[in-house]
Amino acid sequence: MNTDDINLAYKLRHALNENLDALPASTTERLAAARALALSRKKADAPAQVRKTRRFFDVDFHFSGASLGRLGVAIPLVALVVGLGGLYQYEQQQRIAELAELDAAVLADELPLTAYLDHGFNAYLESQQRQQ
Amino acid sequence: MATDKELGDFLENVERRAFKQAVYAVRKDEAALDIVQDAMIKLAEKYGDKPAAELPMLFQRILQTTILDYFRREKVRNTWVSLFSGLGRHGGDDEDFDILDSYEAEEGSAAAESSMDQVERAQTLQLIEAEIQKLPARQREAFLMRYWQDMDVAETAAAMGCSEGSVKTHCSRATHTLADALRAKGIKL
Repeated sequence: MNTDDINLAYKLRHALNENLDALPASTTERLAAARALALSRKKADAPAQVRKTRRFFDVDFHFSGASLGRLGVAIPLVALVVGLGGLYQYEQQQRIAELAELDAAVLADELPLTAYLDHGFNAYLESQQRQQ
Repeated sequence: MATDKELGDFLENVERRAFKQAVYAVRKDEAALDIVQDAMIKLAEKYGDKPAAELPMLFQRILQTTILDYFRREKVRNTWVSLFSGLGRHGGDDEDFDILDSYEAEEGSAAAESSMDQVERAQTLQLIEAEIQKLPARQREAFLMRYWQDMDVAETAAAMGCSEGSVKTHCSRATHTLADALRAKGIKL
């Protein structure tokens, strides 16, 4: 909308406001009565939400349905994370042990240095151990 | 959260304009009063606990819905009651009546000039109201909310349940239509 349109709109608004003052008394009285009626039925203010401080040892909280539901999700998640961590640690230990074994074999001149590059050498070592 | 005083002040501020808005839509004073009363009660009962800043948008939305409900009820009623009832109640005398025909002023007197101005002004205001009444409903709603109820584009869009672009389009069309209509009648504001 250009400036002329906006000016016209505000002039119309002024004209409409002028007309408001000419409302008959019966109408304004009826409107006032309607307003009073509406106010008498105003919705009560919602009670302020009190934030409950939950104590750690609050038995009711810990054994309520909601808390049990949350625990039902949290416990398997924690178990999964701990399990994955344990597996990772076990694999690491295995790898270190294999490398140490290879190092010992190299030092004893039982193996060529290229054995480090042979990823399938574990099978050979295991067969050696079995024979011993 | 609006206090009782804030809600009361808001309703007092808006009630006469809301009444006129309803009159422009339904063209019956009694029905318009009922609509405004219903809208006020609904606002107070259901949204009385909302922040004061949200009241204008909520009230406009309720008012428009109540006007729509009125038309729906009228439609249902008209299927049962004769379609011809109520016709001829409007127009007629009002259209033929021209206050200037029966008005006689003492020429040259300041009082007479002032009275003439007043009459002309009153007629102009009536014509403006008539032209606003003739606007398509959505254009009229958008125009009145934006420029009479002081609502911004976003609030008007929320109250009308349409996009902000539609509000701008409705307002622009309404203003152009009014400008053309008033120009055609020789009215200059």
